[in-house]
This record gives sequence, structure tokens and C-alpha cells, in this order.
Amino acid sequence: MKLKFNGFLVLLLVLVAQLTFAQERAVSGTVSDNTGMPLPGVSVLVKGTKTATQTDFDGKYSIKAAPNQVLIFSYIGMKAQEISASSTSVNPKLKNDSVELESVVVTALGVKKSSRALGYATQEVKAADITRANNNSLSGALQGKLAGVAITPSSGAPGASSQIIIRGARSFTGNNTPLYVIDGMPVASQPDFSTGNGVTGADVANRAVDIDPNEIESINVLKGQAASALYGLRASNGVILITTKSGKNLAQGGKPVITFNTSTSFETISKKPETQNEYAQGSNGVFNPNASTNWGPKISELPNNPTYGGNVANALNGGVLRPGKYYVPQRAKAGLDPWVAPQAYDNIGDFFKTGFTINNTLNISQATEKTNYSFGVGTSKQDGIIPETGMKRYTAKAVVDTKLNNEWKTGFSFNYVETKIDKSSSANDGAIVGVFGGPRSYDLKGIPFANPSNPYDQIYYRPGVFNNPYWAAKNNEFSEKTNRVYGNAYIQYSPIISEDGSQKLTVKYQAGVDSWTTNYRDIFEFGSKLDLSGNSSSANLYGTTNDVINSLFTLNYNLNITDDFNMNVLVGNEYNHQNTKEYDDTGTAFNFGGFPTITNARIVTASEYRRQIRTVGFFANAEFSYKNMIFLGGTIRKDVASNMPRGNRDFVYPSASLGIVLTELEGLKGSSILSYAKLRGSIAEVGQSGNFIGNSYTTPSYSGGFWVGDPIQYPLNGTSSFIPNNVQYDENLKPQNTKSYEIGADFKFFNNRIGLEYTFSKQNSKDQIFSVPLPGSTGANSLVTNGGKMRNDVHELTLSVNPVRTADFNWTFNVNFSKIDSYVEELANGVDNIFLGGFTTPQLRASVGDRFPVIYGTGYARDENNNIIVNAAGLPVADGELKVLGEVAPKFTLGGSTQLTYKRLSLGAVVDWKNGGKMYSGSNNLMNFYGVDARTADRTSEFIYPGVKEDGTPNDIVRGGAADPNGQQALQAALNGIAESAVFDASFVKLREVTLGYQFPKLMNNSLDVRASVFARNILLWSKMPNLDPEATQGNNNFAGGFEQWSMPQTKSIGFGLNFTF
Amino acid sequence: MKNIKITITAIMALFLFQACSEDKMDDINKNVNNPSDMESRLIITDVMVNTAFSVTGADASFYAGVYSELSAGNHNQMYNAQVRRADPQLSSTYNNGWNNSYEQLRTLGIIIDKCTVGNEQGNYQTLGVAQILLAYNLSVLTDLFGDVPYTEAGKPGIIFQPKVDKQEAIYLDIFKRLNEGIANLQKTTTYASLGSQDVIYGGNSAKWIKAANGLLARYTMRLSLRKADYQGVINYVNASFATVDDEMKLAVSGVPNPFARFELNRSAISVAKSFYDTMKANGPADARTEAFFTKKAGVVVPFDNSKEDIEGQGVYSISALMSEANPIYLMSYHELLFLKAEAQARLGLAEAQTTMNAAIKAAYTKKQVVTFTAAQADTYIASIPALTGNALLKKIMVEKHISFYENEGIESYNDIRRLQALGNGDLIPLVNPKPALFPQRFSYGQSDVASNANIKDLYGDGSYVYTEKVWWAGGTR
Repeated sequence: MKLKFNGFLVLLLVLVAQLTFAQERAVSGTVSDNTGMPLPGVSVLVKGTKTATQTDFDGKYSIKAAPNQVLIFSYIGMKAQEISASSTSVNPKLKNDSVELESVVVTALGVKKSSRALGYATQEVKAADITRANNNSLSGALQGKLAGVAITPSSGAPGASSQIIIRGARSFTGNNTPLYVIDGMPVASQPDFSTGNGVTGADVANRAVDIDPNEIESINVLKGQAASALYGLRASNGVILITTKSGKNLAQGGKPVITFNTSTSFETISKKPETQNEYAQGSNGVFNPNASTNWGPKISELPNNPTYGGNVANALNGGVLRPGKYYVPQRAKAGLDPWVAPQAYDNIGDFFKTGFTINNTLNISQATEKTNYSFGVGTSKQDGIIPETGMKRYTAKAVVDTKLNNEWKTGFSFNYVETKIDKSSSANDGAIVGVFGGPRSYDLKGIPFANPSNPYDQIYYRPGVFNNPYWAAKNNEFSEKTNRVYGNAYIQYSPIISEDGSQKLTVKYQAGVDSWTTNYRDIFEFGSKLDLSGNSSSANLYGTTNDVINSLFTLNYNLNITDDFNMNVLVGNEYNHQNTKEYDDTGTAFNFGGFPTITNARIVTASEYRRQIRTVGFFANAEFSYKNMIFLGGTIRKDVASNMPRGNRDFVYPSASLGIVLTELEGLKGSSILSYAKLRGSIAEVGQSGNFIGNSYTTPSYSGGFWVGDPIQYPLNGTSSFIPNNVQYDENLKPQNTKSYEIGADFKFFNNRIGLEYTFSKQNSKDQIFSVPLPGSTGANSLVTNGGKMRNDVHELTLSVNPVRTADFNWTFNVNFSKIDSYVEELANGVDNIFLGGFTTPQLRASVGDRFPVIYGTGYARDENNNIIVNAAGLPVADGELKVLGEVAPKFTLGGSTQLTYKRLSLGAVVDWKNGGKMYSGSNNLMNFYGVDARTADRTSEFIYPGVKEDGTPNDIVRGGAADPNGQQALQAALNGIAESAVFDASFVKLREVTLGYQFPKLMNNSLDVRASVFARNILLWSKMPNLDPEATQGNNNFAGGFEQWSMPQTKSIGFGLNFTF
Repeated sequence: MKNIKITITAIMALFLFQACSEDKMDDINKNVNNPSDMESRLIITDVMVNTAFSVTGADASFYAGVYSELSAGNHNQMYNAQVRRADPQLSSTYNNGWNNSYEQLRTLGIIIDKCTVGNEQGNYQTLGVAQILLAYNLSVLTDLFGDVPYTEAGKPGIIFQPKVDKQEAIYLDIFKRLNEGIANLQKTTTYASLGSQDVIYGGNSAKWIKAANGLLARYTMRLSLRKADYQGVINYVNASFATVDDEMKLAVSGVPNPFARFELNRSAISVAKSFYDTMKANGPADARTEAFFTKKAGVVVPFDNSKEDIEGQGVYSISALMSEANPIYLMSYHELLFLKAEAQARLGLAEAQTTMNAAIKAAYTKKQVVTFTAAQADTYIASIPALTGNALLKKIMVEKHISFYENEGIESYNDIRRLQALGNGDLIPLVNPKPALFPQRFSYGQSDVASNANIKDLYGDGSYVYTEKVWWAGGTR
């Protein structure tokens, strides 16, 4: 029996083995896409085993499988197919991955939705597109990649402020920038302090500078008010939803993944002004070593100067000739041989150095069955092109999500940032005046900037007002340092409430905090402005400490009413409380140099500012979908805001949206030409609260007008006084209101190879809150009240094309077109314009009937035919009245990006075209006025200024030439009084990014992926404006983008990066 | 379990609704940086400082000094005013001063309200001082700008476009306010004296009463064309300052004399040749001629204001009296004496020249950083022959003009326009080469021209400033 049994068992085993092995045979075939093109590199797997292979270059494969087994064919971008191996020849055609269509987007309050379910436009940017060119500035990394979004950098200086405005401005002087939400938590992105009129001091960074683009997984931009309506009061400017990297997307149960990214880049000035090189410092052809102007004799003639020349006997050489040389008093002051041979110096090239940036990020993430996490640290160190400027940023983050059981889930996200920025000053405090405007004959770098025996006694070609740029870099300080923590924790409860899954309930509570302290130091060291009395030196120490607490409770209920009809309801509550404290300590007039702090000041004033703002919101959202084809949604939110007057604090805002996917209709379904078509429309109303604080008494101030600084500072010998604030508050202030309408369509053609999205939106904003200027006779300066109307018409078009897609070669390109027109329709009663920044002339302002904003100032006097009128001297004159000189906003912008991948090599480029829009360039104006600009090189030709004489006849007055050697200087002096002469077309085309990457084959036993890339940013620039990059302007507020005066220059950069994944 | 959830939900809901109740929100939105109410004694201090520094001593005085040829403008805005470019008629030129004056009127209105119908009823000293300061500010405003908003002014957020009042009516109110001020200062009050908050008189009501009488003298003289009352002037003078210590001025360390600060910041005013010539005409006995002006390489280099001299900074001589420590005169003792002398001369009273001599002595010895001795004054006075009639009047007015150097420009400008109206234009002849462009007044401020239709209509293109005299100078507006 035992034997029998054994024999039977053996037989059975053999039989089974035979059954198994005998039936396993080679299965082969060709894998192609649905057009029949063979697909190489498709992975082929026998389901439930580890047996796998890949298709070869001809799409062919061969694998061993038994007839009862199943083969899985998978390929990136294609839908995986499972086919039975019953036949020995299996030739699958893979279809394009329609999951792409069903891509999930993050919408307001972190709700994930299928993109087809949206009735409004959003646009997503993925990590790869953000970090490809290793830009350490988020807004810089987004340029050219979004439609309907205007990104205005202030300059290329490290940490420079930058404005993102979605679909145009809604507020004249208030905030127009979007709400930033990181991992579900609203975070501060605006500057702590406004640069005000934008004509003094240094830039102030905006808090978005704290975001490290390398930590971003994806960005979704909620452009319209309907998309952002759930955020209530803060939503009127759109929302930038940022999801940071987490372990979520890793394979479950995998090992920890360690990534290390490093990049190094080198920055240089993006556009260098061109100079004349022939004429020396001076005026009217006469050399003057202390002149700010460059209208002297030819440089080669300097040795013949009767006072300073070495070719002629004079007091300076005591009769001992120094042939070919001339006397430079500044060299004498520096203790150098004052006699040098004259030449033109490359002051601009000498001053700007090559900046460099090193970014490093290290991240470890893992997904286990229950928990996924990601920890990261990053550093960004940047040295600017201006000496002593730079930025250092250190970031650390942790994101953890864990499932407690089938119903409960919890997690947190935590970020720490330290940002330190060293800046330089511009405009009236401009450090680079002497670089761009320095006389061609003055050796700015070669001549020391200070007296060897007194480092605060400057040596410079100008006698006052402006500092030697090298001295300023060494001694003045404009710095800011931020320590910031933000993050949140949540707990989520998803009880199973129905057996068949027809009902789902999720309750989530999230609490977060954003807390930061920034300290600023603005130091004009003893000796500033060449004033050795110390009166022009000062230390302004100021800063802010903020904490924002955000609590968010949501309840989400989903019900499949029938198989075709789905309903989703979200209700919730949000609580947001901000605490701000600011301080401002100013010490003026240092006693001595080398100790630039408040202790050393002769006059000290100090002030404190504290503020709390709380917003409590209640919201609900309901969505209905029918057959995955019709989507109808509506939201309603009520906000209660503390910073509005009593009785006017709560507001309710609704929105509604509708999306219809036409390709779900019978007849259109399944077409390979029109793969997808959706029509959508939405309507929304949102508000923006003011900052009502009520009327109060303040300490008097006497600054402004004719006075430099504040001539009277309270308390006076122990006596204080308080006066009624000259800014009054309207007790009936109500929130400003934006009604928006949006219609759009999304199409995909040829199996999604071509995508086209178009949106038109219209926003009507009314009851703008601003300080309405009052007639002086009311005894007050302005009244914070509602007034004014604005209208925005916005066209957005996004085209994405994938013309070539084979296994080895993939080519995509995207085009983003934006046309944003913001019109000021009405200001408050009796007010036809509002000052935004600048000088008395020129300035930027909001002006009724014009697009927002406009350049305003002195124009040319013109006749009725628009001819420029010249005076008796044959030169243009200023019109008596100030007028609008141009619109700042462009006619349209177009961003294009392309990506080519061939096997392991990839090449990408981003191009940005801004068409139209004007800007005022004070640097261009003054470089002409000073006689430094290349345009002033011709000083000998005769010219007739094009225009008409006062009697209307064409101008025939000849200027310049031998009879009028100073004609060119006279012309430039005349133009200097006419702001219009320095208003330029700000159009440009920029090659924003070029990247070339190579993905190495797996290294170190298949455990290491390495990607290497070289990249360049802003390397090609074509602009209409001479000498300067039009993307370098003044201001970090609504003034930004249209006004330049000795602004920090823009940069171009070139660098390389390495990316390791273990 | 279920109960716990319900309880938690209920507590959260309760917390949330409390977190946004109106009272809670009021508490959060409380202004913790600036007080919402203030005692009048702490408000009035800056009205005094501002009235002296900004209203009297700064922009208006600089421009008025250029127009009255007390000084010459050598740079930028002052030069433009000097050579009569567009500036005298532009609404931007005087905008800062215009706005500032109205801020004082509004603030004084608040103080007067507090002390009459508000929570400080019976605070008669503060009330009286505020009424005097109101009259003073009102007169500076209407003297420079003519018909101006007054009865509807100073009510921001309530009246958006104040209507314009006639100068004649405004002057009635000025007199009324001064008399009310005097009456209130004579009342007894339970409120403490202003003390150190009164940076002009240290809370001395008697001196304020004298100041009010001095101002009554000044304004009575001002209206001579409309209603001559020279005996009234003399009576008011007699009730006013008895010594130089009574005069109405601000001398507080920490408040720089605006004329000196203007030189430091802008270097735009220099010595006018015509003024220098006037002083030289006094002969060597007048010690001031030698000491008033800075010298360049040993000589006074004045700006030749009889022609369009060259614009430049640091080119011309400037006032040698200049000091940030100099007081700012709202109404000086020397002015008061000159008013009396003029009134006596116009009445043909014999003591006119004696009074003038006292006035000259007061002008010599005024308490500035650069001072002259009584002996120097006597030397000069002794050199003046006995004068009568127009010659005496001329001497009085010329000496008064000199006594206003450097920073009492507004009164100088007022005198010149009054004398022209009275047909006494010859007393202080002007040399500017463009007499047709002598501004008869200041142009309205830009803030009102831009957003107050009442003012916009009156302003037109601003050229009215050359043709329309103010009411007390014979005009209609």
C-alpha cells in the first residue's frame, strides 16, 4: 500500500509537472500602437509571475507562457492590456492612456476631482517643468508656462520680489496677487513691507521667496473666481495650489527612495548698456573732474587741458610737463600718482561680476503599506552680480501620512525656512548710478573708493548726493533675514456607510500654522552721500513677526443616486487668524564710522505696530454629474471678517459652474479625430475685504514737501502731541466685489495628440476699497472707502501638441497665449486718477478710461496734428500739462515650450514673448542726459529736431555742428525735462530656458539612477528698449513693471545639474 | 461614542460662533497702535508747532518773501517763482501749504467742539487759545488765497466738496473768534493750565489775550481799504504786547527755523539785490547792512532780481542771520510797534516817529542768534532825520519791511498788497521785470482743484492769480 501510494504520488507529480511544463511554450509577436507603429521597450509580464521581457526595436518580443496564463503589456503613456497567452502569437495594439484624460486635479480646499468634471479653467504645472532649468525662484520658474497669468519680476537680483497676477488686476492700490495654498494650508506670499512710491531704498522681497521649487510635486493654478470661490474673501485674485513632494506616489511597500539634486549656475548681466567711448567728463566741452555729466572734451584731448593737462604748463604740474597725461584729483586723494594717460574705462564690465548659484536638495521618501513619508532638506546659495548682494536659503521639510485603520487616516506636513537676502539700493538711493552713468574717462574700479587714511571719506567723481558704488557695496547694507515655519496636521475619518459603495463620507479636520519673523536692516553708513558730518547716515531697523493659524473642517458626502447620477456635497468651516507685530527703529546721524547701528545715532525714533485679523468662513459645495457627461456645481460661502466695520462684517458669495463633455454623446463617442470635447461655463461672485481700523489720533510727522527727512520729531523736549489722522475711515465700508463670468472649451484631437483649451473670462469689479483722495479743504488727506469700477476681459489659449511619439523619440510643444485687458471704468466721485508710485513726473497711476496702469507725466508739447513743437532754440519743450504717456500692460503675451526626448537624451526650451506695453526708463533718460549713452556719441553732426516751430511750419533750425558744439548736450538737457522722451516700448522676446538632459543607464547594480543636465536661462533677449532688460523695474506692489530708475539689472545664467536617485 | 461626537461637534460649533461674534471681532479689530480719542491739551500742542513751522514759517513764507522781494529765489521752484515761470499759477505750487492749513482748521474745530459741546466743557483756556489760533490760521489762509472754503471745511467724510466763503465774511468771523477767545481766557476754569503743552506761552492766559489784541490790531490795519480804523489799531496795540517777552513766537529746541532748514535742504533762496540796495540806502549808520548777508570773496553777491539772473546754487550770498535756533514769529513785537507807528502816521499824530524809532529798536534787538545792540540801534535811529507825511510813512513801511527779514515773508507780502490797494505802492517799490506777473494771491491747492468743483470753477487755468486782487486789496474774491 505504501509503495502503491508512493508510486501513485510520483505518477501524479510527473503528470502535474508535465502538465505544467509541457504546456509552457514560447509566445511571441509584435506590439504596436493603434496606428500600427511598432512600439519598442514595451514591458511584457506573465501575470502573477516574475517572468518578464521587453519588446525590441522592432516592437518584437518572445516570452514563455502557458496557454492558461495571461500576458500584461504595459508602456508609459499607453493603457496597459491584458491578453490571454492561449495563442503562441499575440500582437496587441496598445491604446493611448485615456487615464491622461481622466487626470485628477487638485481643486479648492484640496478636493481632488477629475479634470473633466470642472466647469472652469485651471492649469497644472508639474515638477519636471518647474525644476528643469533649476531656477530657485518659483515665479521665475513659472514664466512662460501659464496662460492668463502675468508674472512680473522686479529684477535678477537674488531674492528679488516678483508679482504674479492672474487674469488682471481688480484692485487699484490693494492686493492683486493670488492666495498661495501649500498642502492645504494658506501661506503668506506677499511682501511684509511695500516699497511705496518705489523711488528710494532697496527692494523688499515677497514671502513667496521662501518656497523652494525643488520641493514641489505640482502646482495647480485656480484662475477664475468660480474655481477659487470656496476660499471666500481671499479668493478674488485666484489661488496657487502647491502640492509638495511626498511618498504617496511611490510603489507601496518599496524601499526608501533617496534623491539628491544639485545644480550650479553662473549669472551675468542680461543686457549691458552701450556707451560712447570718445568723450570725457565735463560739460559744454570743458573737462571738470567733479561733474556728474560726460559732456567734456574728447578723452584724447585731456592732456591739453589748461588746468589738468600734462602737455601744458600749469599749477598742477608746476611747469614740469607730463606729456600725454592728465591730472586726476581723485587719484591724488587716494595717494596714487595723479598723472595718467587718459582712456575710456569699462566701468560697467568692471563692476558687475559673475554671480553664481548653488542649489542642493536631498530627499528621502518611502511608502509602506500604511505609511508614506518624505523628508527633505535644501539649500540655495546665490551670489549676485552686484558685489555684496546675495541670498542664502535653507529649507527642511517633512510630510507624513499614515492610515490608522480602514476608516482613520492622519498626517502632517512641516516646513522650516531660513532666508537671508543682501540687496542693493536703487532709484534716488541708486548704487549703480555711478556705474551706468559714470563718466567714460573716470576709472571707477582703478581709483580707490575711499581715502586711505579714512575709509568713510569717499573718493568719487561726484561731490555729493550719490555714493561711489564700490563704497556703497562695502559700507551700506540692505538686508533681510527670515525664519519661518509653516505646516499643518490633519485627521481624516472615512466610515464605511454603505455596503455597495454608493455612499461615501469623509470628514477631515486640518489645523495649520504659518509663522515667520523677518528683520530688516537699511544702513547708510557714516560718510554716505560724501557727507562727513554724518547727517546723511542712518540705520533703519525694522521687522515683523507674524503667526497665522488656520483651522479647516470639511465634511464630504458622495452619493450615487443611480448608476448615471452622482451627487457630491461638501460643507465646512474655516477659521483664519493672523497676528502681526512690526517695529521700526530709526537712528539718524552717526557719530563715527564703522559702527553702523542705532547706538551710534544722534537722533533715535522708534515705533510699534500690532494688528490682528480674523476671518471665519462657512461654506458648502454641491456637485451633480450625469453619465460622466454633464457636471453641474455650485458653491456658497459666508465670511465674517474682523477687519471690516461693525455691522458690515459678514458677506455671502455664490458661484456656479457647468461642464458638458460632448464626446460622451452617442455619435461623437469613440472618434479618433475628436478624442475629447468639453464646453464649460461658470459664474461667480467674490469679495475682498478692506483693512478698516477706524479713526484715530497719530503722532505728527513733518516729512515730505521741501524737507529731507523729518525736520521735527516728537516728543519735543518731553512734550508729546497727537493729531487727528489725516486718513479717515468710512464707517460704512463694504467689501469690494468681483463678479466674473467665464466660458471655455477644451478639445483633444487625434487620440489626444493635440490639445486645445480656450477660455474667455470677464470680471467686473466694483466698490474698490482705496484711500480716496479728498479735497484739502476737508482737512483730511483721504478717506478709505468704496469707489471705482474695473473691468477685465481675458482671453486664454493653451495649445499642446505631441507631433511625434515613438519609443525612442518624443516631441511635445505647448503654447500659452494670454490677452489681459484691465480697464479702469470709474474712480470715486470727483477723482479721475490715483497715484501708484514714482515721482511727480513721471509716475504710474490708475486713470479713468485707461487700461491699468498708465505712465503719467510731462509730454512733448505738440500741435493739433500731433507734431512735436520746438522752441526758438530748435529744441522740443515740455507740454504744460501732465498727461498719460502710455499703457504698461502688454497687448498680449505668448509663452512657448517644447520638449524633445530621444532615447536617453532630452532637450527642452521655453520662449516668452511680451508684445506691447510701455515703461519709463529713468536710467536711459539719465544716461543720455549725462552724455554716457552710445546714442550721444555723435556730437559733431548737425541735426534738425523733427517737429514744427511754434508758427506751425516745419522745424528748420539747425543745431549741432561746428557752429554749435554743445547742441547735442542742449538737446539732451531739453529731453531730460520731458518724461515722454524716456517712455519705451517694453516688448521683448526671451529664450527663458534651454535644457539638455541625459539619463544614464542604471548604475551601481541597478540601484542608482543618474540624470545630468546643462541649462541656460534668459540667454537670448530681444527687446525694443535700448540698454536695459525691460524686466528690471522698481517696486513690489501694483507699481511694479512699468517704471525703472537705476533698477537692479536682470541676469542671464548658464549652469549644470545632477540628479541622483537611489 | 456617539454622544461624545455630538458633544465635541456642539462645543466646536459654539466656539466658532463665539469666535466671530461682533463683540469679539470689535475686540480683535481694536486699534492698539493709535488712540481713538485724545484730550484737547495734547492736540493743541502740535497746532501751535505746525502753525509756526508749516503755516507761517515755511512754504508760504518762502514764496511770499520772493514776491515781496525780501529775498530772491535762485534754484528750482524758488527760481521759477522768482522769474515768474508757470509756478505762481500752478495748483501744485501751494498744495502742501493749502492742505496743511486746513488740517489745522479741522483740528482746531475738533478742540473747540470738545471744549464747548463735548466732554471738556468749561476748559476755557484751551478753548480761548484754540479760538485765537483758529483766527490766526484763517487769516493766513484768506490773506493768501482770498475767498476760500470755511464754513463747510474740515468735515471729511461728511462734506466732500466744501463751498467757498467770501473773504469779507471770513474776516468777520476772525474778529469774532478773537473776541470770543479773549472772553474765554478771562473766565475761570477748573481745568489745569495748558502748562508745557502750550509751547508758545507756557499756559499764560494773559499773554494770549495780549496776542489776540495784537492780531486785532494787525487785522484792523489789514482792512484799512475797506474800513479804515487807525485809532482802533492804536487801541488794540495798547492792549497788546508791552515788552518783547510778550510777543507771539515759537522758540523750541527741536523745531528748526524753517528758513535755515530750507537752506540746508534746498539752497534755493538768496539775497535779493533790491533788498540789499534798500539797506545800503540807510547809510553806514545802519549796522545791519554789513551783518545781514554772507559774503563771497569779501563782497555781498546778490541775485539781481531786477532781471532774470542766472539760476544756481551756492552762487549768491544768503542771509547771515540764518540759524535753526532762530524763533518763528507769528506776531512780533517789532511788527506791533510798526503797526502803531503806521496808524499814528496816517492819523498825523506827532508821536509816530517816536513809535517808529521804538519799532526800529525792537527790530534791531529781536531775540535771534545774530543780535544787534541797543546802542547800534540808537546810532542808526540818530541818523534818521525828522520826517513827516508820506516820507515818514515811507520810512515806517520800509523799516517794517526790513524788520521782516528773513522769515516774516507773509506779513511783508500782505503789506505790499495793502499798500498797493491804498495807493501807496510807491512806499516799497518792486523791481521784478515782469510787474504784470506780480501774484496778487496764491493759487488754490491741487487737491481741491482736482476734486472740489467749487474750487475748480474758481481756479480755471490759474491765471486769475495775476489779475484778481483779494477783497481787502480791492478785489471781489
